[in-house]
Amino acid sequence: MPAALHGDVDLTESSSAQSRSRALNQFLASVELKAFKIAQAALRHEEDALDAVQDAMLQLARAYAQRPPEQWKPLFYRILENRIRDMQRRRTVRGRVIAWLPFRGEDDEDEPDPIAQAPSSEPGPVRRLELNEAMGALQQALEALPRRQQQAFLLRTLEGMDVAETATAMGCSQGSVKTHYFRAVQALRAQLGDFYV
Amino acid sequence: MSPEQEPLTPFERNARTVLEESVQRVDARTRSRLNQARQAALAAAAAGPAWWRSFTLMPAAGAVAAALLVAVTLWHREPASELPVLDAQRSAVEDMDLLADAEGLDLVQDGDNSFYEWAATQADANAESDG
Repeated sequence: MPAALHGDVDLTESSSAQSRSRALNQFLASVELKAFKIAQAALRHEEDALDAVQDAMLQLARAYAQRPPEQWKPLFYRILENRIRDMQRRRTVRGRVIAWLPFRGEDDEDEPDPIAQAPSSEPGPVRRLELNEAMGALQQALEALPRRQQQAFLLRTLEGMDVAETATAMGCSQGSVKTHYFRAVQALRAQLGDFYV
Repeated sequence: MSPEQEPLTPFERNARTVLEESVQRVDARTRSRLNQARQAALAAAAAGPAWWRSFTLMPAAGAVAAALLVAVTLWHREPASELPVLDAQRSAVEDMDLLADAEGLDLVQDGDNSFYEWAATQADANAESDG
């Protein structure tokens, strides 16, 4: 019966598309917060970091949703890294142009939003103070790292990617990943010894 | 997936703890924005990449078509403009060969001598028969 067969095929395809959509949703939900923190460390700007993550999500979904799910993570971080680099270049050009302008107003975007600053979880006050100090110190130390070292450290430590995945995401060899990561750990340890004994 | 083949040092463990804590502290507004971005991405994936890719490939297809058009135009114009130049170049090259080839000139000279001798003989014979 061709009609029934055709209907079966449609059902199978629909079910496959739904399961792929569910898998993509789970994957994006699992990486979005970490990706945001990685983009924020690189761009030092919350709105730009959100835009970068949003663009990376869209591009992955449009261009690579049909790829095997195990390829999504390195692909996603590769796309995110390209987006971050584009934004950094654009910001450099914009900075040069703005530096030539005679009158520049105050940048309201840099003022902290009290609602945005509100934490979503509340640890105890002592632990919170310790973590605040440690986070502030780590954030400063991370921002001072060269971009590739920062990227290698965050992808491996925060995102938990192995050397091969990190190399794919960074577009370099596994040896380069190990070198960048080792240097990042050395530099951070030299700066954060007081907080991370 | 294991992030490291080697065991983490205490420093790396502490750094990871702090980083994970910072992720947990991302505020509600940012979480909401990320959720919206995820839903938009899922909608884009459901819409399929066909229309998006076709628009993306349009400039490339146009560039290829333009290159083909230029190539075909140049190919058709080539014989008319190039032939006279080639003929002139070829004759000049042949003249240069004749002048430069001493052996060839000797051969031609020998042949011409025999021809001239034969022609003179014929002319003498004709004159005698006429006279």
